[in-house]
Amino acid sequence: MDLYIIVFYLFALITLASAAIVVISKNIVYSAFALLFTFFGVAGLYVLLMADFIAVTQLLIYVGGILVLLLFGVMLTTKVIRVDMRTATVRTFPAVVIVAALAGTLIGIFWSTDWPQSPASDGFERTIPQIGEMLLTSYLLPFEIASVVLLVALIGAAMIARRERKAL
Amino acid sequence: MFSYSPLIVLFPLLGFLFLGLAGWRLRSEKLIGIIGSGSVGLSFLVAIMIFVHMLGLPVDQRKQSVELFTWISTFTGTPSSISVSVAYQLDQLSILMTLIVTGVGFLIHVYSIGYMRGDKGFWRFFTYMNLFIFAMLNLVLADNFLLMFLGWEGVGLCSYLLIGFWYDRKFDTGGYEPGKATTSDAAKKAFIVNRIGDFGFLLAMLLIFIHFGSLSFDAVFGRAAVLTPGSSIMVWITLLLFLGATGKSAQIPLFVWLPDAMAGPTPVSALIHAATMVTAGVYMVARCSVLYALAPAAMQIVAVIGALTAIIAATIGLVQNDIKKVLAYSTISQLGYMFLGMGVAAFAAGIFHVLTHAFFKALLFLGSGAVIHALHDEQNIQKMGGLRKYLPTTYWTFVVGAIAIAGIPPFSGFFSKDEILWKTFSSDYGSIPLWFLGVFGAGLTAFYMFRLVSLTFEGEGRYGHDVHPHEAPRTMTIPLIILAFLSVVGGLVGIPESLLGGNAVEHWLGPVFDPAYEKLRLTPHGVEATEYVLMILSVGVAAAGIYGARVVYIRRTELAELWRRKYASLHKLLFNKYYVDEAYDKLVVSPTVKVSDGFLWKGIDVAVIDGAVNGSARLIAMVAQNIRRVQTGIAQQYATVFVGGILVILIWLMFK
Amino acid sequence: MIVIRLEDLLYSAPLLVLTSSGLLALIAEAAGRDKPVISYYTSLIGVITSLILTFLNLGAGVPVFNNMILQGGYAAYCNLIFLSSALLSIVLSRSYLERMQYHRGEFYVLIVFATAGMMLMAAALDLTIVFLGIELMSICLYVLAGFMRKKELANEAALKYFLLGAFATGFLLYGIALIYGTSGTTNLVVISRSFAQLSGNSLFLIGCGMLIVAFSFKIAAVPFHMWAPDVYEGAPTTVTAFMSTGAKAAAFATFVAVFVRVFDIPGTALSSVLALIAAASMIVGNVTAIAQNNVKRMLAYSSIAHTGYMLSGIAAGNAEGEQGILFYLVAYTFMNIGAFGIVSWVEQQEDRKLKFDDYAGFSARQPAVAVLMSVFMFSLAGIPPFAGFFGKYYVFLAAVKADMTWLAIIGVMTSLVSVYYYLRLVVLMYFCEGESDVAAKVPLAAISAVTLAAVLVILLGIYPSLLVDMTKGFFKI
Repeated sequence: MDLYIIVFYLFALITLASAAIVVISKNIVYSAFALLFTFFGVAGLYVLLMADFIAVTQLLIYVGGILVLLLFGVMLTTKVIRVDMRTATVRTFPAVVIVAALAGTLIGIFWSTDWPQSPASDGFERTIPQIGEMLLTSYLLPFEIASVVLLVALIGAAMIARRERKAL
Repeated sequence: MFSYSPLIVLFPLLGFLFLGLAGWRLRSEKLIGIIGSGSVGLSFLVAIMIFVHMLGLPVDQRKQSVELFTWISTFTGTPSSISVSVAYQLDQLSILMTLIVTGVGFLIHVYSIGYMRGDKGFWRFFTYMNLFIFAMLNLVLADNFLLMFLGWEGVGLCSYLLIGFWYDRKFDTGGYEPGKATTSDAAKKAFIVNRIGDFGFLLAMLLIFIHFGSLSFDAVFGRAAVLTPGSSIMVWITLLLFLGATGKSAQIPLFVWLPDAMAGPTPVSALIHAATMVTAGVYMVARCSVLYALAPAAMQIVAVIGALTAIIAATIGLVQNDIKKVLAYSTISQLGYMFLGMGVAAFAAGIFHVLTHAFFKALLFLGSGAVIHALHDEQNIQKMGGLRKYLPTTYWTFVVGAIAIAGIPPFSGFFSKDEILWKTFSSDYGSIPLWFLGVFGAGLTAFYMFRLVSLTFEGEGRYGHDVHPHEAPRTMTIPLIILAFLSVVGGLVGIPESLLGGNAVEHWLGPVFDPAYEKLRLTPHGVEATEYVLMILSVGVAAAGIYGARVVYIRRTELAELWRRKYASLHKLLFNKYYVDEAYDKLVVSPTVKVSDGFLWKGIDVAVIDGAVNGSARLIAMVAQNIRRVQTGIAQQYATVFVGGILVILIWLMFK
Repeated sequence: MIVIRLEDLLYSAPLLVLTSSGLLALIAEAAGRDKPVISYYTSLIGVITSLILTFLNLGAGVPVFNNMILQGGYAAYCNLIFLSSALLSIVLSRSYLERMQYHRGEFYVLIVFATAGMMLMAAALDLTIVFLGIELMSICLYVLAGFMRKKELANEAALKYFLLGAFATGFLLYGIALIYGTSGTTNLVVISRSFAQLSGNSLFLIGCGMLIVAFSFKIAAVPFHMWAPDVYEGAPTTVTAFMSTGAKAAAFATFVAVFVRVFDIPGTALSSVLALIAAASMIVGNVTAIAQNNVKRMLAYSSIAHTGYMLSGIAAGNAEGEQGILFYLVAYTFMNIGAFGIVSWVEQQEDRKLKFDDYAGFSARQPAVAVLMSVFMFSLAGIPPFAGFFGKYYVFLAAVKADMTWLAIIGVMTSLVSVYYYLRLVVLMYFCEGESDVAAKVPLAAISAVTLAAVLVILLGIYPSLLVDMTKGFFKI
């Protein structure tokens, strides 16, 4: 077993275990912190796949941005309006059964499939220039649409969160 | 001449559009009546001109199609290209039906001017009636299945609108849900039961298209003519078509709507639910005779259903007390004879019966309308009697109609009914048990018709003293007289060879049914001695029925009461119409509502997932609680169903 | 390397104009405070201009932007549906929102952007566009569903829709990833070339299965339908009209674009899965609709049922199925938006006057509106000569052609069931006594919008070739 495999399983374990805590933990703050490790583990897997850009993005946006926002949200809500931030898990049994069945099916399928093998690449190759170029040529349209999607999300969030104006 | 045929359809359409758009502004009932009946009358004139023109043509030129415009043309270039035109086909069969629809329709329109006088919906009534004639003409003149289906649905819609015409009136269904039903329930029932039939028609149409690659009559029947009998797809097609026919023509198992349809105004019952619309099923089977000839098994079923309906409806008719209900069951029973004729390959005889039945049944209904009119909306024959001296015209015309339906020569009903019975006896597809049912039904028919005549017109008046019956106005009696005349002489066009007639109807319709006759390889029958014996027998049975009814209901009225008590349970069974309505309610209507309400909605949507997995009362309580704090609880549950769905799909994809 | 050609911009003018009008409306809303009317007219002009440009662009489809989207042809046809739906919704919404006291400029901006998302969905030639289009549309719809912020039911609806929608998006991405993993591309044209070979690969099949799941959620097919009744009930009525027509049409358009035009599914397991979903939707939708007392909920279940009918066309996977769905979508859009439009006229604040009984005796006071409503009901029930009949006729014909007669039989039988609940409303309006009336005077624009819908429903019922001819050459990319 070479180092690569060991590191892979290590990251996979971190991801899965922390994800399980996110779901199982009754304290939402714990869940949020566990999510940090999940994101981190996934970033590690990206690195192993030589996807440098995505790995960095994962860290910057998810760990650095979204997660921090989430934690602030959780902590401020508890402080300001004194909500009990515990989550109850109801009907665990049916959920477990059905999710286990789904997972089993998927694992079974993945196990029994012949995965296409791509030729091993010779060493590291930076993906950032390629991605940048693709985004502004072939994938220009999706890139622009993504900005519209974000704009709409912003409008929506403002719409829902803003203070009610005087009745017209 | 043929190119004028679109006019036949156009006049009622114009009448409908004009009355529908401007009718409510017209103050004068007379004007509305003239426009309403005039449009149908003009159609009738055009139809007669075309008919006369056809008579002068050699047989092989009598059939023609007139195409108006291409209606649907899709999938061109693919093997399943559809091209359907709005086109009218004129041939011996469709012109005959057109003459019936417009001729009898015209008389009934004229009658309605008197009958509907003063009704607040006068213009609405004529609007619907013209729309009905338009739809019905599309049905009989269509040259393809789709246009026919359009007419088929159109007449159903008009029937629905007209049954519920007096929507605020209470309506007595005869025991079932007493006091609660209104005419709109009757209308709804008619519509929904008819949709069951339409479902058969629609499926049959899809199958026809798949099998023959076209929907036009010419193409389908042309391709069918070269097939040999015995393929199962033909049995399916014909049976599904017949399911459509049982809905529209009120046969077992879908006959329950017709008696309730009597909730509509009487001219509607005469036009739609006696003379024209209900015979659409018979017309359709006759039109598709080639297809039926390819499926002898389906013909057997048609014959048996027809004979059984004839008997069952006749027995129910024996004990009903509503004058229109008796006539409604009589209509169901007579339609049964027509289907019996279709089933034993006596297509021409069946259509002949459609013709004579249109005359005498319209006459009887209009007569009953005059009676109801005279007695201020009384419909119970137990509260009538002795009307003979007040309503002489109505009485005599009604008796003519009754004799005609009973089958006494030389009235029209005799010839057509006897033709069917003789074919049932002699044809390769008939049988003696079926014939026996037919003759027995004929006896019952004579009996209940003269029970009706006796209770309504003879004996002493049993209505209140404050009622002073009076004869109907001329707009009502003149149509009665014309129809009575036709009921007497209408049969002369079909006097069989055995009685030295030419059987003109059979010869006229011959070319339409020849392909079917060829397929069926019928054994030819000449004039046989048996035919005379059977003829005398059936006339004897009818005469006995008439005599029996007159004895029981005029001379020895105590007998009726005695029998009723003696055979109380039988009477109850018949009076309650074999409890068919109740059975349908128990078996079909309530379970559907229950499944919908209890199982699929509250069950699957709300409880099954929890219930199935945990299955405890505690959880049901929890679900109920969650319904109050709706959000999370239910959303999670939705997600669970969601994941379950994914699971099923993935497993299916992997193992299929 | 040329990134954008002039043709790209010209061909996609309808899309660009519409998006720009959305941006303009947004800026106008930000600049001129409390004047939602500006936003209303800006978006209205944008939609109408886009509609006109689309009409000019109905010829053969042309791939633009490096084979990312297809403009003209199939996409243009679908755009007509989305834009008509948006147009009618915008017109109907103004008076409705004013009456409900929720008239805000953002509303129109969101409708316009949602419509742009729909246009992308139908035009997509690449799975990334499919994804982005769906997200653009969905995010707008989440907000629109909860637009009446103070209404509990609306908040609940929006949140539920959002949670489950995000869930469905997850599966969509999973599916796209698996398809990319097995085929090495996200471009649909490239995938279509090697479909025969790929369809033997179980990972590819699972990917397709995930796509089916996500699309089925968007069209509200059983068992992914459970959000629909709640959301349809909670959302503002005109938004419900928009969701159940435009959004559903868009989801169907991309469903057809992927599974009929690109994949060659007849005879594969994918086709039978779709048939199963179709059958389940028809049965559950129709039977459950019977039990409803709320007209909006009834229409929600009825829309699930119609999803089932249309899915039969996709399951058939042949040219007839595609043409059938394309016709059905138009018919369905007009009859449904008309029905919801009238519901919005009767409805009063705080969700009053939404019950069946609130329509008793409607014809006595509003004879013309009652006639319009009856037209929509008869058409939804599939009674000729209204457009709904031919929609059903075409898709069932396609199913029979594809050797799925059982599906057509279920379809015809369940539409028989549907007659009951549609007719119930007609019976109440015509044959019962009651005090029902419209809530306030209906503005002329709204009346003309609904009348136009009714006229089209009748016209297409009498002369369906008008439309079906347009879709002739669309089958397969």
